[in-house]
Amino acid sequence: MTERYCDGVSRRNFVQAGLGGLGLSQLLRAQALSAETKRPAKRCIFIWMDGGPSHHETFDPKPDAQAEIRGIFDTIPTNVSGVQFSEHVPKIAQIMDRLTIVRSISHHDPGHGGGNHYLTTGTSTPTPVACGAKVSFHPSFGSVIAKELGVKDGLPTYVQFALPGPLRSGGPNFLGSKYAPFYVSNNPNNPDFKMADVTLPRGVNDRRARSRESLRREIDNLERITDAAAADPVNGLDNFYQQAVGLITSPAAKRAFDINSEPAKVRDAYGRTMVGQQCLLARRLVEANIPFVIVQHAGWDHHGNIFTYLKNRYLPIFDMAFSALIRDLDDRGLLEDTLVLALGEFGRTPKINKNVGRDHWPGAMSVIAAGAGVPRGQIIGATDKKGAAPSQRRLTVEDFASTLYAKMGINPHKILHDTLGRPIPLVQGGDAIRELM
Amino acid sequence: MSGVRWILLVGMGLTFTPNSAGHASDLRIEPAQATLAGSDARQQLIVTLSSGNRETDVTQTAKFVSSDSGIATIDVHGVVRPVADGVVTITATNGQANATAQVVVRQGNQPLPISFRHDIIPLLTKTGCNSGNCHGKQAGRNGFKLSLFGFDHAFDYDAIVREARGRRLFRASPDRSLLLAKAAGQLPHGGGRRFDKGDPQYQLLLRWIDAGSPFESERDDVSLTGIQVVPASRVLSTHSRQQVIVTALFSDGSTSDVTHLSSYTTNNEALAQVDGNGLFATTNLGGEFAVMANYMGHVETCRVTIPMNAPLPKEARQSAWDTSHYIDRLLAEKWEKLNLAPSARCDDATFLRRATLDCIGRLPTPREVKDFLANPSPKKRTQLVEALLTRDEYADFWTVKWADLLRLNAEQLGAKNAYVFDAWLREVFRKNLPYDQFVRQLLTAQGDSFENGATNFYKAFAKPKDLTIASSQIFLGIRLECAQCHHHPYEKWGQDDFYGLAAFFPRLTRKRGTGGAELLFVGGKADVKHPRTGLIVAPRTLEGAPIELLPGEDRRKYLADWMTDPKNRFVARALVNRVWADFMGRGLVEPIDDMRATNPATSEELLAALAADFVKNGFDIKHLIRTITSSNAYGLSSIPNRWNVRDTYNYSRAYRKRIPAEVLLDAVSDVTGSTEEFAGMPPGTRAVQLWNNRLPSTFLDVFGRPERKTVCECERSDESSLGQVLHLMNAPLVNEKIQSPVGRAAQLARSKAAPDEIITELYLSALGRFPNDREMNSARKTFASPDSNRRTATEDVLWALLNTAEFVFNH
Repeated sequence: MTERYCDGVSRRNFVQAGLGGLGLSQLLRAQALSAETKRPAKRCIFIWMDGGPSHHETFDPKPDAQAEIRGIFDTIPTNVSGVQFSEHVPKIAQIMDRLTIVRSISHHDPGHGGGNHYLTTGTSTPTPVACGAKVSFHPSFGSVIAKELGVKDGLPTYVQFALPGPLRSGGPNFLGSKYAPFYVSNNPNNPDFKMADVTLPRGVNDRRARSRESLRREIDNLERITDAAAADPVNGLDNFYQQAVGLITSPAAKRAFDINSEPAKVRDAYGRTMVGQQCLLARRLVEANIPFVIVQHAGWDHHGNIFTYLKNRYLPIFDMAFSALIRDLDDRGLLEDTLVLALGEFGRTPKINKNVGRDHWPGAMSVIAAGAGVPRGQIIGATDKKGAAPSQRRLTVEDFASTLYAKMGINPHKILHDTLGRPIPLVQGGDAIRELM
Repeated sequence: MSGVRWILLVGMGLTFTPNSAGHASDLRIEPAQATLAGSDARQQLIVTLSSGNRETDVTQTAKFVSSDSGIATIDVHGVVRPVADGVVTITATNGQANATAQVVVRQGNQPLPISFRHDIIPLLTKTGCNSGNCHGKQAGRNGFKLSLFGFDHAFDYDAIVREARGRRLFRASPDRSLLLAKAAGQLPHGGGRRFDKGDPQYQLLLRWIDAGSPFESERDDVSLTGIQVVPASRVLSTHSRQQVIVTALFSDGSTSDVTHLSSYTTNNEALAQVDGNGLFATTNLGGEFAVMANYMGHVETCRVTIPMNAPLPKEARQSAWDTSHYIDRLLAEKWEKLNLAPSARCDDATFLRRATLDCIGRLPTPREVKDFLANPSPKKRTQLVEALLTRDEYADFWTVKWADLLRLNAEQLGAKNAYVFDAWLREVFRKNLPYDQFVRQLLTAQGDSFENGATNFYKAFAKPKDLTIASSQIFLGIRLECAQCHHHPYEKWGQDDFYGLAAFFPRLTRKRGTGGAELLFVGGKADVKHPRTGLIVAPRTLEGAPIELLPGEDRRKYLADWMTDPKNRFVARALVNRVWADFMGRGLVEPIDDMRATNPATSEELLAALAADFVKNGFDIKHLIRTITSSNAYGLSSIPNRWNVRDTYNYSRAYRKRIPAEVLLDAVSDVTGSTEEFAGMPPGTRAVQLWNNRLPSTFLDVFGRPERKTVCECERSDESSLGQVLHLMNAPLVNEKIQSPVGRAAQLARSKAAPDEIITELYLSALGRFPNDREMNSARKTFASPDSNRRTATEDVLWALLNTAEFVFNH
């Protein structure tokens, strides 16, 4: 399963070389070769706003529309002239000069199940699925990136905060469980947060752990069925043991997850919330060169009392966490090659409903992007007077997915092969959004 | 001349009588006789070459000739179209062989009157206008809304003809009608161009508008009763093509070719791709699939088998395969067709572990392993299952499965209610209450929720809509949720069905009792209203007639009567499919609770046989378990041979299953000789005995314990993950068990047993078998190492065993 380079050194060999055998010059050569083809984004933080945040109350307000569309929030200027946000994201308004807002993505799937799938895999579901569905028809962004970029230093490639739970469609599908996300299901805002189960148990030192592990490998004799078409669930396990040993023996991993080593001031700046501390930990993870991290801020499905929820809870938390993340990444020079994206599965209806809420609206949604060569202080596209549909630069989910992959140095239109060897395009159509490249 | 003569038997399907036997290779046309009435009629023909027992569709390559193209023409795809009245002979030539069909044309030069329901609606459906993505969407598109897939003719007529001040149709100049101009792309249309001006769809709509766009037609009293797909089944090879014919059957006995108006899907895109005209192509892969044709909500299938291997060599054929058990016979028939060879029989130790895990959710003890292996009886496998089914753990294990489905969630029900509900379930399985009575007791439950645990079903699902979704998915294996708002997109179920079921549930009254108890009784005046018509809906079972009720009657009794009727065609199938999946690792229908015509079973015959057997034997779940486990198929090895490695749904090898969360935690406890402590539960409580699924347990969460928020079995995860591996390797909980001073490792280390005996004991308890020589040697090295003492060596072997695939999987 490993990719071979022109000199025959595979990535897995490289990891082994690091642990054991090659001379320094060979190691450096291997390292140079594995320093991927040039890619603008070395890493990506993907902030998933599950439920579908309202574009009206955030980054695409319509102050001139009638009241039932406009809503009750005022608009505020940002630090880029001519760009206005809704009033409850003031901190993000002050960093607009480091962001691009894409206002003109639209699609056709109004359900959470389908929308989740579409926006986290880049592929729509082949059949309509129920709103509550958790389905997987295609590998998720993170799993594809994990496969394409490989594993380094014992660190996971694709970390997903499973807070409150795993993403509905964030798995590897036919790529195999080897590329499943590494879930963090502890809340990093808890004082006793630590990465679960990566430290050796009491009474077991490194030496004993190594001898246990080698005994385990010797006696793990259940016959493996290597043909992928057999879909044997045991196959994933061996990869997990490999990854687990890597993680346990990696000082880099322990350092990366040690959020308690952050100064209190920094932790405060992100907000002492589950979302804020996820963003901070995500920064530490990308700093350790983990290429893909999903932060979750769930609960944006405001069918009723939208203004109360947004004003009192959702927007202040997001405003603080997101702005702190961008500033922090920028201050550390990480924003140059770290792509940050924040989005949900769709926007929300132009008209406020009878429960003072907004319903699902895939006809228009906003995506925030920053870093890795994304222009600073740019707006892409526009929606019509009601915020109902793109009026300029209509973009598709496939365009968005192509952009994400292109930024990560992956050909969006490469052909994957499922377990039966069928060719499946990574993204079906779509073009990387040129204004972001 | 063809060696086979075909007769079209109206309404009864096609049948044939061979009039001469022994032809090495025959060519035939289906149908051999057809009648075309009116100038819009058409007939798809299929040309089939039979050779030996193989049939090959040569429609796409055969040469067609019409005996009189002034009467009817035929195109290269085998479609006959009328020109003028008369009779023609169509001849198909393939190589040297010929075959003929006779076509009668009536009113060939003039169109029949257009019927809105029989002509226009199917056209709009085929064109995609009323699909869920377009105007069939809940809110319509751009102000124009049609009913999804045309289930509401009157609504659609209104929308097209009357709404928007009638501007969609322009009678004075029909070709300027918005409906046509948009669909033909002459005006901007969000849905793009659906057809061109010259296309028959355009012409038909144009003529209809020109005729005054009538709603009624002389054919309105005729209704569509079903469709028929030819061929119904076929064995094909890889990289081949097959055309199907879809015939609409009407209540007056007439038929019509609707091949071009049907939509097609396949349940396995890896094996076949199907186009919009009923022509499909197989890929490079073998296996089985179905092509589903859907015409106006009626679904029929063409089932296809593609052998997965070349004919098997002699040594691979299972001549010794015993087919006296119907499961083995039905599976073997499929393997025969697919050229699959089953794996070998699994060894006794594997069978013991597998059956013990599957029946009672625990590992066999070392004593049980030794006894079973030493038992010389040829019947010991069936005797084992018999003994397991009498054990107390049986009820615990099956209660967990059903508590998941019934959303037995202590957080939502309240602690005492959950406890009582759980106790009721345990009693059901302890007594082996027949499944029909189980369903009846749940559905008709009433009284005090602290006394009658079953009433908590009505607490877990309170509203009529929730009860409809739950009872249809759990007991019928049907996902009816979408029919709440619109017609089910792939089934015949619609809002009438959904609210008909919901109407069994509104007349319930709840009173708060003491301490969180709830009194549930029949009463009240609430009704269920149809969201579209606003009218009160009478209770109606699926496919049944509205029920007339006496005042004050418990409506639910009728629902229970229907569900527990031996003739009910859903309930037994749903249950046997669930249990089959538990034992065999994969449902005959997957997902197991999504049964519909468009999702056929991998072996419809086997599913039907299991269901019939289950009903015949008094809905006895234990009987079903005995039946499944006594088949040879259940006792196969999970190790494939070269012919069945790619078989993932024909049960020619055992499919490995990750041990579920609760069972695995209990297994870790048993093997380490420790007990688990759960908050508020007596020490020694096993995870499968918990009545409160919200008790904190990282282990259970990591291994996929469901939250019990849905009625879907899919909520429980059976996948492996990095987190699980880390947990088994390093979690304090697991290691405290391994290192426990009173645990198995400590006890063995303290004993006088030699290292080999310790190793053997650990193997027996964790893997249910003796170690082989190589394994014994590896483990001995640990004892011999200068770094370890007896205690740590024992712990390390134990740790290593818990971290093998063989431990974590039921194989």
